[in-house]
Amino acid sequence: MSKLQSMTELVGPGDKSVSAFDVEQVRADFPILSREVYGKPLIFLDSGASAQKPRVVIDCIREAYESYYSNVHRGAHHLSQRATDAYEEARVIIARFMNAPSENNIVITSSVTESINLVAATWGRKFLEEGDEVVVSEMEHHANIVPWQMLREEKGIVLKVAPICDDGSFHLEDFEACLSSRTKLVAITEVSNVLGTRVPIKKLIKIAHDHGAKVLVDGAQGIVHQGVDVQDLDVDLYGWTGHKLYGPSGVGILYGKADILDSMPPYQGGGDMIAKVTFEKTTYQDPPYRFEAGTPPIVQAIGLAAAVKYVEELGMGNIAAHEHGILAYAHQQLADIEGYHEVGTVPDKAAIISFLVDGLHPFDVAAVLDRQGVATRVGQHCAEPLMDRMGIEGTVRASFGLYNNRTDVDALVAAIRKAKEMLS
Amino acid sequence: MNGLPDLKKYDEFVGNLELIDDEDMRFEYIIDVGKKAGDIDFPEVMKVDANLMHGCMSKVWIVDRFEDDRHYFSGFSDAIIVKGLVTMMTESFSGLTSDELSSLNERHVQKLNLGALTTQRQVGMLAMLAHLKKLGRRRNTAVVD
Repeated sequence: MSKLQSMTELVGPGDKSVSAFDVEQVRADFPILSREVYGKPLIFLDSGASAQKPRVVIDCIREAYESYYSNVHRGAHHLSQRATDAYEEARVIIARFMNAPSENNIVITSSVTESINLVAATWGRKFLEEGDEVVVSEMEHHANIVPWQMLREEKGIVLKVAPICDDGSFHLEDFEACLSSRTKLVAITEVSNVLGTRVPIKKLIKIAHDHGAKVLVDGAQGIVHQGVDVQDLDVDLYGWTGHKLYGPSGVGILYGKADILDSMPPYQGGGDMIAKVTFEKTTYQDPPYRFEAGTPPIVQAIGLAAAVKYVEELGMGNIAAHEHGILAYAHQQLADIEGYHEVGTVPDKAAIISFLVDGLHPFDVAAVLDRQGVATRVGQHCAEPLMDRMGIEGTVRASFGLYNNRTDVDALVAAIRKAKEMLS
Repeated sequence: MNGLPDLKKYDEFVGNLELIDDEDMRFEYIIDVGKKAGDIDFPEVMKVDANLMHGCMSKVWIVDRFEDDRHYFSGFSDAIIVKGLVTMMTESFSGLTSDELSSLNERHVQKLNLGALTTQRQVGMLAMLAHLKKLGRRRNTAVVD
């Protein structure tokens, strides 16, 4: 039976919510989900940090290493050609997934952090001058704050911060008030990794462009929940990471419009990114190779392409609908817990729940959850300025993915009740 | 028995943990130690940045009173589990000379949780041991507001 079902079928045994695919069949694709921790079933609610991998990705990685692994772009032998073909095919698959005009818009990096640093170190260094403004939001991950602060130290740029409201909502009028004639770049998250807040990115891009600014989107938490169409968004630069999209760790993507990538100087120097090298002068390759110095994450990129094909088969719209159903169920169940407070309560948020329990330290709650087999994340979530903004020291975060079901939610609720009982 | 002088509190904690044959119950034991520790021995005035142990997921304050050539630690955390661990560490290893303190190693620490903690938190306990040793080298570190 196909995993894909009509929208009227059930999620799984005893499940009354409507979903576009059979989550129990999907779960069977992820070997790790059947393991136990501390003798209890694993309830994995930490996909926002890194998602688990379906068997097709694991098998694809194994096959690459077992049957055709070699370095790419340079070997004069059969294996190298096969590895190069698979690596470049991955770029094509990823371009199609993002609806990029061409695979040449796709730079393969090691992570979204590297994608952002690449933009700061190349485009930023070349085009930003003292007094120019970069606008971020209050809910950025450190990866989209620190590179701009480093550039501020180096070049004297101004970092402006678009505010959010107490409920975690982001308003375009507040954002627009931060723009000026000196704004050259808006670097902003698509979905908050803590609050789940979705930024209305298409409208934001239009506003930024009307002010003459380019836009770099940190799509690490966005693409996994809702996919992306870079041409529809008209986004200039869009970074994301493979391991949150059910792919391997160690690979990230930077999409860039052709004219922008063309205008950017190289990032790191080394093999593969050059056209010709002499001791007097070196010339560089065209994008995307100009930005891929040294041996790239070959197998990771191939594995990511397998992950992309996996989510495409399920359908990003179906995944979004499924996660929406799970989030709604979670909200319903969690609301009954006395003393439970969610941080970030925007109604159309992505499937990320940060929460606190009255009188309990989030570290203690997460530790008790862990002993019940429920894997969450605790702390500041690499978003210390956001914690300061919300007036809290940290949260417990449960983040949901395409494989989570109502049983996971029920286990979370039971574990929070257990934490209250043990810690009070 | 540990190559160290009489560590009465340490032996008591280890003995209690060894009697419990279930990791979940050992975990609960650590929580109970944290709950019982209370706030009495660590007044608010000592919860200042200078007494903070950095690098922890929750706030941990530890101070060292140096008396008659021996170190007497007390500590506090705003998280109960960490408070339990801090209490076990500070009570276990108080009353040692600087030399005795420096001879402590990870085996002493491992016996204070016996698998009830994740590796990450065991690393946290080792960091706590390193912090006690550091305080021990500095002598009298308590700062009050």
